[in-house]
This record gives sequence, C-alpha cells and structure tokens, in this order.
Amino acid sequence: MSLDNILNHWSDYRKGSEEGGHHDYEHRWAMAINLDICNGCNACSTACYAENNLAVVGKERFEKGQAMHWLRIERYWDQQDKDYPEQGASFLPMMCQHCGSATCEPVCPVAATYHTPDGLNAQVYNRCIGSRYCSNNCPFRVRYFNFYSYYESAWPEPMEQQLNPDISVRDKGVMEKCTFCVQRIRTAKDKAKMEDREVQDGEVMTACAQACPTSAIVFGDTMDENSVVSKLWKKHQVERGVYAKTKLAKKDKDLRGYRIFEELNVDPSVMYLDRVREDI
Amino acid sequence: MNRRNFLKTMGWGGAGAALTGCDLPTTITLEEGKEEVVSYLMPEEYVIPGVGVWYASTCTQCSAGCAIHGRVREGRVLKLEGNPEASLNNGKICMMGQAGVQGHYSPDRVTKPMVRNGDTLTETSWDNAMALLQEKLGAVSGDRFAWFTGTISGHQSALVSNHLDAMGSKQHYVHEVVNNSVSQAVNRDMFGEANPRVRIDKAAMVVSFGADFMGASLSPVHYAGQYAKFRTKKERGLLVQIESKMSLTGGSADLWLPIKPGTEGVLALGMANLLLNKIKVSDAGIPNGVRKLIDEYDISKVAKITGVAGHRIQRVAQLLTERSPSLVLAGPSVEGHAHGYASVAAVMMLNHILGNVGKTIESSGQFPFPQLMAKQGGTADLLAFAEAAKAEKLDAVVFYGSNPVYSAPKALELNEAMNKVGFKVAISQFMDETTEVADLVLPVASYLEDWGTQVPMQQSENSAIHVQQPLMEKLYEDSKGLGDILLSLLKQRNNDEYGKFEDYYAYLRNAFAAMPAAVKNNTTNNNEFWNNTLQKGVIDVASSGGKLKSTVVSFADPVSESANADGLTLVPSPRLGLYDGRHANLPWLQEAPDQISKVVWDSWAEMHPTTAEKLGISNLDLVEVSSAQGSVTLRVVLLKSMHVDAVAVPLGQGHEAYGRYAKGLGVNPLQILDATTDNKTGELAMYSTRVTVKSVGPADSLSIVRMGTGSGDSQAGRKLVATVPVEQLRRTEGS
Amino acid sequence: MVTEKDINEQIAWAKINTDVLESMENPRPAFWVTLAVCVAMVACAVLAEYIQYTEGMGTANLNNPHMWDMYIAAFVFWIGMSHSGTLLSAILHLIHADWRKPIYRFAEAMTTFSLLTAGLFPMIHLGRVWNLYWVLPYVSDRGHWPNFRSPLVWDAFAISTYLTASMLFLFVGMIPDLAICRDNTSGWRKKLYTVLSLGWVGSDRQWRHFRKIYLLMACFLIPLAVSVHSIVSADFAMSIMPGWHITSFPPYFVAGALYSGCAAIITLFILLRYFFRFEDYMTLAIMEKTCKLTFAIAMVWTYLNLIEFASIWYGHDMYNKELLIAKATGPYAPIFWTMIFCGSVLPFTLAFQKLRRHMPTMFVVSLFLNLGMFFERWMIVAPTLSMSQEPHQWDVMYGSIIEWAIVFGSFGWFGMLFLIFVKVFPSVSMYEVKEMVFHRKRSAGEEDLARMTDHSKPVTQTTGGEGA
Repeated sequence: MSLDNILNHWSDYRKGSEEGGHHDYEHRWAMAINLDICNGCNACSTACYAENNLAVVGKERFEKGQAMHWLRIERYWDQQDKDYPEQGASFLPMMCQHCGSATCEPVCPVAATYHTPDGLNAQVYNRCIGSRYCSNNCPFRVRYFNFYSYYESAWPEPMEQQLNPDISVRDKGVMEKCTFCVQRIRTAKDKAKMEDREVQDGEVMTACAQACPTSAIVFGDTMDENSVVSKLWKKHQVERGVYAKTKLAKKDKDLRGYRIFEELNVDPSVMYLDRVREDI
Repeated sequence: MNRRNFLKTMGWGGAGAALTGCDLPTTITLEEGKEEVVSYLMPEEYVIPGVGVWYASTCTQCSAGCAIHGRVREGRVLKLEGNPEASLNNGKICMMGQAGVQGHYSPDRVTKPMVRNGDTLTETSWDNAMALLQEKLGAVSGDRFAWFTGTISGHQSALVSNHLDAMGSKQHYVHEVVNNSVSQAVNRDMFGEANPRVRIDKAAMVVSFGADFMGASLSPVHYAGQYAKFRTKKERGLLVQIESKMSLTGGSADLWLPIKPGTEGVLALGMANLLLNKIKVSDAGIPNGVRKLIDEYDISKVAKITGVAGHRIQRVAQLLTERSPSLVLAGPSVEGHAHGYASVAAVMMLNHILGNVGKTIESSGQFPFPQLMAKQGGTADLLAFAEAAKAEKLDAVVFYGSNPVYSAPKALELNEAMNKVGFKVAISQFMDETTEVADLVLPVASYLEDWGTQVPMQQSENSAIHVQQPLMEKLYEDSKGLGDILLSLLKQRNNDEYGKFEDYYAYLRNAFAAMPAAVKNNTTNNNEFWNNTLQKGVIDVASSGGKLKSTVVSFADPVSESANADGLTLVPSPRLGLYDGRHANLPWLQEAPDQISKVVWDSWAEMHPTTAEKLGISNLDLVEVSSAQGSVTLRVVLLKSMHVDAVAVPLGQGHEAYGRYAKGLGVNPLQILDATTDNKTGELAMYSTRVTVKSVGPADSLSIVRMGTGSGDSQAGRKLVATVPVEQLRRTEGS
Repeated sequence: MVTEKDINEQIAWAKINTDVLESMENPRPAFWVTLAVCVAMVACAVLAEYIQYTEGMGTANLNNPHMWDMYIAAFVFWIGMSHSGTLLSAILHLIHADWRKPIYRFAEAMTTFSLLTAGLFPMIHLGRVWNLYWVLPYVSDRGHWPNFRSPLVWDAFAISTYLTASMLFLFVGMIPDLAICRDNTSGWRKKLYTVLSLGWVGSDRQWRHFRKIYLLMACFLIPLAVSVHSIVSADFAMSIMPGWHITSFPPYFVAGALYSGCAAIITLFILLRYFFRFEDYMTLAIMEKTCKLTFAIAMVWTYLNLIEFASIWYGHDMYNKELLIAKATGPYAPIFWTMIFCGSVLPFTLAFQKLRRHMPTMFVVSLFLNLGMFFERWMIVAPTLSMSQEPHQWDVMYGSIIEWAIVFGSFGWFGMLFLIFVKVFPSVSMYEVKEMVFHRKRSAGEEDLARMTDHSKPVTQTTGGEGA
C-alpha cells in the first residue's frame, strides 16, 4: 500500500465490494461443501495438519482454547428437546471463509492480512505484529494465534522432517489461518504459466478437499464459469457480492446453497449445501 | 543390494508417478534465474531439489490396505494422499492414513535390536539378535512355536506361513480387536462367502444394526466412498442406524434408533415377523425352527424387549419393502454377545427375506492368489493363545503388528500367560506393552520405508493387490523391513530355498516375475511390469466367477441373558482415529476431537443424561465404571446419543507404555471386559459386559477437554447447518 | 445556610508558598513505604511480562475467542483516567470555574501518568512487540505503510498526540510555580528548577505570553481529549461484533472516561488533603463541587448505558440482544451487576451533602466508582468475545496470574510516578491559588493590593466564613 499506489489507483481503491472491490481479480477461489454427505470424520482436518505444518498443542493448551486447527469440524445437536437425537448429528467443517469483504482486513494496523488478486484472504506472517484484532473481528472465529512457540514441543526430532518446506512454521506472536492451501495454488499457477496456459479446473485441490472420503468439499475458481464449483454456485443461486434483499427474494427458497452469516455482508467464499434428512 | 541401488530402483518407480501426480517448484523468484540456488549441492540424480514427487505405496494404518501416494521431497516423505488408481479408496484416505507420517517420524521408535537382560532390555546388534534367534528357535519345534500377528496379507503373510511350515508349526494366532469374525461365520454359512462384497452405493435403503461402516470399521474410506454415491444418486438413499451408542455413521443417519444393548437380533426377528406375517413377503428358504422363532416375536413383544417404539419398527419394515434393493448390515455391537452369531444371523436373514443377496450383497469372486489373501484376525485367537500359553504349550512366539498385552481383558490373565512363554520375540516399531515384555525386540522399518504387498480384505468391484514401496531411506540404519526379517528367519531354517534371495526386494521381484501373464497386462518384460506396478501402486487382478447362495441357517434364540440384570451394558466403542489403541501415539489423532463427543487427549464415559440423573451423576463428573473384572475411573460426558441402558467407554487410551504421546492418558476399557464368548464362534463377546457406574466426585484439576461446547452443542438460532426435508431436495435437485 | 467559601481568602501568599514547598520536602517514612510497595508491584509486573515475553501470549490465558482481555480493558481504563486532568484544567479553565485552581495540578499529573500507563498496554498485549513501530507511517524503502483504515493506527496517532499535548500543558502550567521553587530551594532541586522554569521572572510580558499560550493549549486539548476516547471507542465500534458495533460508543466512552477520572480525582484529593495537610486548599467546598460534577457525569453515563440497552432491546439484532441478556444473566452477571451498582447506584451517595463532606466515605465511594468503571471496561471487551456470532467458539474467560500481575503492577507504576511527582513538583498550583485568593478578596471589597500581595506579612489564622 505505497503512497504511489494509493494515488495511482485511487479510483480502484474507492470501489466498493459491490463492484468487485478494489481488485481486478485473476481468480476467485471458492468452495462448495455438501453437508449432506459430510460425515464429520476428521480426515480433512488431519490432512490440513499434515499439509500446513499445524502445531499440536497438547491437552492443557487445547483446554485453554489455544488449539491451532485451521479446519475444525463443529458438531451440533439439533433436536435438543427430544430424548434422543433421532436425526443424527449436524457436522460443519469450518475454516477461513475467505470473505470478499473480509472484516479482518480493514482492522489490521499493519495490513498483514489483505486480499490477493486471487480472491484469497492472505495472511502475511512476516508482517503480523500480533495485535489479534483480526481474530476479534472475524465472525467465524477461524483465525488462530500462535500463543506459544511450538517448534520444540510440536515437532520433536525427527518429526520436524515431516514439515512441508513450501510453507513456513509460524513462531509465537503471529496470527495464522486457513490459506486455501495457497502453496498448492501457487504451484499450479506456476506450472500453468510455464506451460503457457490457464489453470485448469481440478488442477488445484486443497488438502481437505483432496482428503474428504465422501468428496463433500469441492474447491475451484468461480471466475472460471465451467468449473465444478462455479456450476454449483450457479445451480444453487448463490452469488458473489453482498447480501441484497432483492437478490435473495429472487432465489428459489428450496435450493440448498447458502453462505453462513450472509446477513453480515462479509461475502464468504464458501457455500454450504444444507443437510438433508428424510423424516420417517 | 546396497542402499544406492535400492533407491535407484525406487527412483525409477517414481519417475513415472511424477507424471500423474506431479507438483512443480515455485519458479517465479524475486530475481529471475536464481532458482537453481539450493542447499543440495550434489543431489542424487533422481532428486530434483524443490520438487515434490508423488510415489505410490500402500497404507497399513489399519487392515483396509488403501493405496496411497506419498509426496517425497529432498528424500523425505511429507504428505500422504489416496491413490486415485485404486478403486478401493479412489484417491482418498482417512485421518489415520493421513497421520501415517507421524508414526514414521515418531520420536519414540525403537531404533536398535534389544535383548532381555533380567528386567531390562539392552541394545544389541543384529548379528547377536540373529544368533540368538538361531539358537532359541532351533531348539523349538512343532506347535510349540507360534506367530502372533494382526491381520496380515500379501507376500509377508505368505512368508509367515512358510516360516511356520519350516518350523513345523501350525500356530498362527491372528488377533484384531476391530473385526467382523462373527459376521464372517454367518456370511459363510448363509451366503457361502465370508466377505461378500457389500454394495451400499447400490442400495436404496440401508438399515445398519451397529455397523459403523464409515467409522472404525474394516474399510472406512471404501465405505465412505460408497456412502457418498448412496446419498448423491438420483433417489437419495435412506440410512437407518440402530445401535446403543451413536457411531460416526449413526451421526449421518436419517433415523437413528437407540436400542437396548444385545437385543438387535430380537429387533431383526421382529422385523422379519412383520415382513412375513403382515406385509406377506415370501418366507421361502427359511428353516422351520427359524420360522417358529420369528413368529414368537410379535411387534409388541419386540418393542418391549428392544426399547424401540413399535411404530418405528413397522415404518422401517414397511420402507424396506418399498425401497428396493435395500441392504441390512450387522456391526460389532451385534456380534459382541454370547448370542452374537444368532443375532447376526437374524439380521442377515433380513437380506435373504428382502432379496438383497446378489443385488446389494455380491460375491467377491475367486481371488486368484489365495495364499496372498488377508489372514483376518479376531479375538478367538487371543483366547486360544492365552489358553495355550497358560498351559505352557508355547516355547517361542514371534509377535508382530498386534499388541495383545494391551488389548487382552484382565480376565484372560495374559500377563501371567506371557510369562509362561519361553521366548518372546517382538518385531516392533514402538515400545508398546507387548514389546516391553518381549525377550528380543527387533526394530522394524516403518511402512513408509518398507517393501510389501497388501491384499485388501474388503475389495471393491475390481480386485487388486496394493503394492507397498519405500518412500524414503530408512530413518534408522538398524531397523529392518518385515520382509527382510522374515527372509532371514527362513534362511536359518531353509537356506536352500531362500538363500538365493539377497533380500525381500529380490524376493518380491522374483514373485512378481512369476505372476501369470494376465495379471501382468500380457507383458513379458518383467522390468516393465515391475516399473509399471510401482508407478501405479496397484495390480489389478480379476476375481473370477463366484455366486452367492441365499440361504438362512438355523440359529438359536438371540435373546440377551443379561437384559434384565442390574447395571448397564458397557460399549467399548472403537474410534476412527485411535482405532483399537494402535494410533494413540500419533499426536494428530490425539488432538483430533472424537467425532461425536468432541473429546481430545483423553478417555471418557458416555452416558445418556436420563441414566446419569438416575445414578446421581452430573456432566463431567469423575465416575468409576466397574465390572466383575475390575474398574476404570474417568470423566463422564452426558450425551443423548446413547441408549439409556448403555455406557460407552471408547477404545484407544490407557496405555502404560507406547511412547510420550500415548502413555498415561485415559483408561483402557478392554481391561474390564468379561471373558464371555460367542456361543458359536468362540469370539470374545466384547459388547456384553455388565457394569455399574457411580460418581466418585470431581477429582483432578485438569478436567476433560472437549472442543467447542460453549453453546451447549446448540446452533443458538443461527443458520450454520440447516436441515431440509428430502422432499425439498427431490423438488430442486432430484429426479 | 451560609454559603461556604471555596477557599479562605485571608490566607497569605507566604503561607501558600510555605505549605506547598513544605509538602515537597522531607518525605516521611510512610512515603518511602508506599513508594516501595509501588516499586514492588511494578517489579511483579516486570517479572510477569518477562515470562509472557519469553513464553508467549498464551501465559495470559488468551485463547481463540478471547484474543483480547484484561490488557485492553486496562488500556481503556487508563486512557479514561487521563480525561480528568483535561476536564479540570482545560474545560473548567475555559468556563472560568476558578474552584478548579487548587486541585487541577495533580489532576493534570494524573492525566500524564495515566497516559504513560495506558501506553504500556498495547505493547504488553502485542504478540511481536519488537515490531510495534510498524504501526507508524515511517519512511520505508519498501513502500510499506500502516493500514490507515485500522482504528489501531488511529489509536497510535491519537494517544501519542494526546500524551505530548497533555505533558506540555502540564509543564507550561507549572512554569511560574517552578520559578517559585527555584527561588526557594538549593542543591539539585535548584538546578532542576532553574532549567525547567525557563528563566521565568514574572515579568509583565512573560505573563501576557503565558496566559495566551495556556488558553490556546486549553482550547487545543479539549477536542483532543474527546477525540482520543472516541478513537479508543472506535477500536470496538468499528468492528462488526455484537456488543462492540454500537453507535453510541464514542460519547459513552468519553462520559465513562470523565467519570472514572473524576472518581480518581476524589481519591487523590482526599489522600493529598490528608497526607500533605492541604485542608486550606483542598477544602470541603471544592470537594463538594467535584462531587457534584462527578454525580452529573455519573448520570450522563447511566443515561448512555440505558440508551445502549434500550436500542439493543428494541432493535432486531439477535446477536446483540442475546449478548445483553447473557451479560446480565450469564457467568459474567456478578461483574455486570457490580458495574451497574458501582456506576449508577453508588454515585447517589454524592447527592447527599453529609456524605459528600465525610472524607472516609468519599474515599471508599470513589474507589468503588473506579472499580465499577474498570468492570465496565472489561464488560465491554470480554463478553463480546465470549459470545460472538459463532456459537461453536463460545467460551468463558478466566484471567491468568500473569495477566493479573501485570494489571496490578500498572497501578503500582502509576502510583510510583505520582509519588515521585508530588515530591518533586508542586502538587498545588501556587500562583493560581494566589490568584484565586486575590480575586476572591477583590470581589469581597478588599482594596489594599499591597497588603494582599505582601509575602512577608504574618499569616492570619482566621478561618473562612467568618469574614464574609
């Protein structure tokens, strides 16, 4: 955000998120998660630990709420008034929603979290000073802070050999969160560039989407109209941009697609599909 | 073969794999042309610094044997993913598979051979260890020698058999806590195959009696894949789950019915009664005795015994006839009773009545390499082993891939039995409870460092052998692959036949060369076949023929003897994650919350709030769960996903050894199980132990840790996960 | 009822000098003990901070929903505290309320020291404090700028400006007194005051310039004070969190700040009056006025609270409403009701003259008022985090010993600075009290200027009230 940049791109900078924000997006990575086939098995979460060098914090720190699970599976009981949960449990994989109008971005004093031209909500670890305001302003509570230095405790020798060299191990005092596996996006983009072509749908798979045994998680670029995720968004009439009553009024109410906390106008990049139950 | 050659071979195998699952380095650096600056000055020719190459191998975290790809960069394996070439798991693996790298890089591995010296184990050399084996095993013959393993398959299994033959013994104890032995017996008797192919994906409706097929089952990833198809096909499949403790699969059910533990067979008979007498389905092929048994169980009687409402039973029975083909499954909670066989038979009989055999239960065909097929474990062998050892019938036993000291109930007195085994050899990666009492410990290479073949027990439509190749050099020089250890043992017995194989790699190459041409894709070039196989990771073998019969065997009245006794029934539920306790040393899995209770790093007792209220227990109290065999003390978590007559204590914790992450956490419910067995198969009746639970108050400061329970598991009026009726789905997305 | 005088106008100028200068000399053992206690508290905090710095922020029991807790509450508290000095010296100066004169000096010192205390908290709370300067727009060859949209950056500007301005205001207002000190002391004190009094001789020209600059600074400081706390409120109001995103926060924060500042003035007023025997200057009449002012502000604060509750109650924001109910009935209810009691009920004691004139009561009440205000700050910060939009992450905050030690130590730090101040600088403005006496006498009809301003005249011991 240099001064030159501000002056030269003043009109872009002033553009609201209704008009696509201040970016000329190259990609807009997004997800669609079918909660009807998510069985809450934790494969995605564990894959995320493996891919993204997430620290294991141990029992005491987990109890304090200092766990680092970028992707957590929330489990709710919906029929609390009944004797038994006859429709099973409700599972919700919750990770950074990479909001188009992310509330974490404007509050960071040093712009360590910002929007990339890929539509990602990026976190620059080196720039982060640890004010933790972003996490406080995240309605999804999916930002995790390095309350301690975990290098010694989480990866005793030789476990450190498992660390993914494509991304860093974060030290204490830094905020972190789901990146939509930015290192995989980067690799695919580089490969496409070397081969002088566009990134193909399906070429980038986040670790969670790759792992999901029921393929409940679909990842892709919503700028690519032919991508699976685009088609799903379109099918369920979920649109980018902020919530507008008129837009919602036109939507077929029976379609299952929705974004969590749509009313907060944060424009999340993750569409969920309702859980289905047959009442028998 | 020296290491360099060995790795070269591996390199060849990987080069092709790189084409399919390649990932390239970041080439856009700050300054153009600087990308060659790497720390590796003289890398091995097959190592491209900064480039991760995916090699195919096979997962051995449970006995499912999913095919995997491992990402290798600069000679280290970093990340495991499913191998999309394998139709078993279709490019997916579960959380246990993901955590495989942690076992491989575990800081608690056994790195040197160790020999017992009084009370302690002291390090020794391989030469000494082999000499000791030569001496000790040379002095044993016949059935006084035994192997004790978990489920084992492929060429390793064949070598174990060969070793036993060479020793003149027939004693191969195969032990698995998570098993389907009783179901296998029923399947064999009723359908003619122990493991017929179950097709959830083809079913319009699944009624599962405690079969946690997506959770800690025998092939969770395979069945989760089937489940996804089952749910997403044009007519969304309907899942009814009937069990005493909500399993992972139960969490996804359209209708989850809690049932009084041990009465599943009665419920099945009740349903059969409705089908035959009310709905008038043909009763062809049902033996008279069984027919009479069915008629005894009318709906009101069944409702009373099982605690499942009559209208629910009627509705499910009705739907079973409307939604065809259906599929009825029985799980470990049905098997684990003295009348386990009868219960499973009653449940599986429904498939016969509904005509599902041949539609959703298919023949798995004749596997062309029977000697490679999985030797599946159960608990009967554990009992037999304890018996034999106590009778001092065993002079030398080799343990591999199983931890009986941990998983045997106290009632079996296995500790005492182990003392009576003359010479105990543990081929082990970790200092687990069994390894600790061994006389000789042989450090085995991790599955990511070793060669092998795995034959999945639950095959998909396309039967296959999954090939396991090393994804990196051994972390510890002094560990050896299982196959290599087996070969050395065999060479001690029969050098003529096995002396020609330099190592297990050579043995496997030889074995592969000897495979029939059909399997080799009709190539005569053995090198080409070998390289193709390593790249693909999967050898497709057509399982030919095979047709199931659909009969009903006679079975006893599956009535629960203890149904009216005091106390509660203990459900020792396995978790997808820690499984039977073998993964308690993997921190990722300890830190992954249990899918239903969301507890981490601990054991807990799961109870229904109503039961707890009756017993004067409140949430998170410290409780004592006591059976006739002993007691365990742990925290209680009150959840409505339990039947009021059951208390669940999940498996996996309570290790007294097994490294820094496992040791000293939680309790092991297996310890307090009764030694009751299934009347027919002799399998341990794991789900029939009666226990009493009493609050012993809040004790230690560190309470049980659960993820995200602040809102009392409620969505608090938000739209986080909304549930829509299936009619809505049909209107918008259905047919 | 006889109208009570704010000050005895018969008091001689010489006595004023003597009393104030005496208060700065010869600290009694009690002083040293208090100072030692304060230093010990600071030492505890330093130790706690050392542990937190080396181990990580987790030692403060911060966690995923509660990324902020006591440090931010204490930060807001101390910023609020700083508003009293500005109120007394600048606002009351502009509206010619001259009863402020004997008490504004220590209030202003309080402002400065609270700001110095408040300024520590953002540093203590930061995960990587060594990069703190990144919030400032310094020239970077990489073209890095802070994020000007972030209220935390505004904080950095606002607080540093306010701190500079209030320190200057304190210093400028002290110059004539420093000259008196210079003329009446020897040794290191003389050297210090010589430098600090900037060659003040009390000439006509100096006084003229002095008056002008003092008035100008007062005018400058008032909007600054209001904006500082508005900006601090923006830390919360600019977010989208329930319980934070509230339009009335800026005035609410300013009112709360003035409130806690006034309460702190009452506390220190009583302490100084008692320990320095300042009964002649910090009179009961002035105390009464301060109390009335505090009462008025308390009512404004209460009103703003009610506005907040009412607008939430009648609004349609489910998140805010459930949070409000949870505050009043959930695990934080004792703190919430203590806050309401201390902040809105207890100030009614200030409405009774008898109680207002009873110093021990007032001392205790003022402490409770501030306790209520500390709780208010905490009730703003933590419950919102405990109960945000996402129910899965709901939690209850428990502080850690580290956090408590640091917040506790901040009081020691403030006390230490203040104790040093009262022994080094005049805590009562001598020249302004003289002015006050002078003006009161003039208006009472006294004409003999020479007698009034004679420093050598013996002290008359008449008490106020009789001569009226």
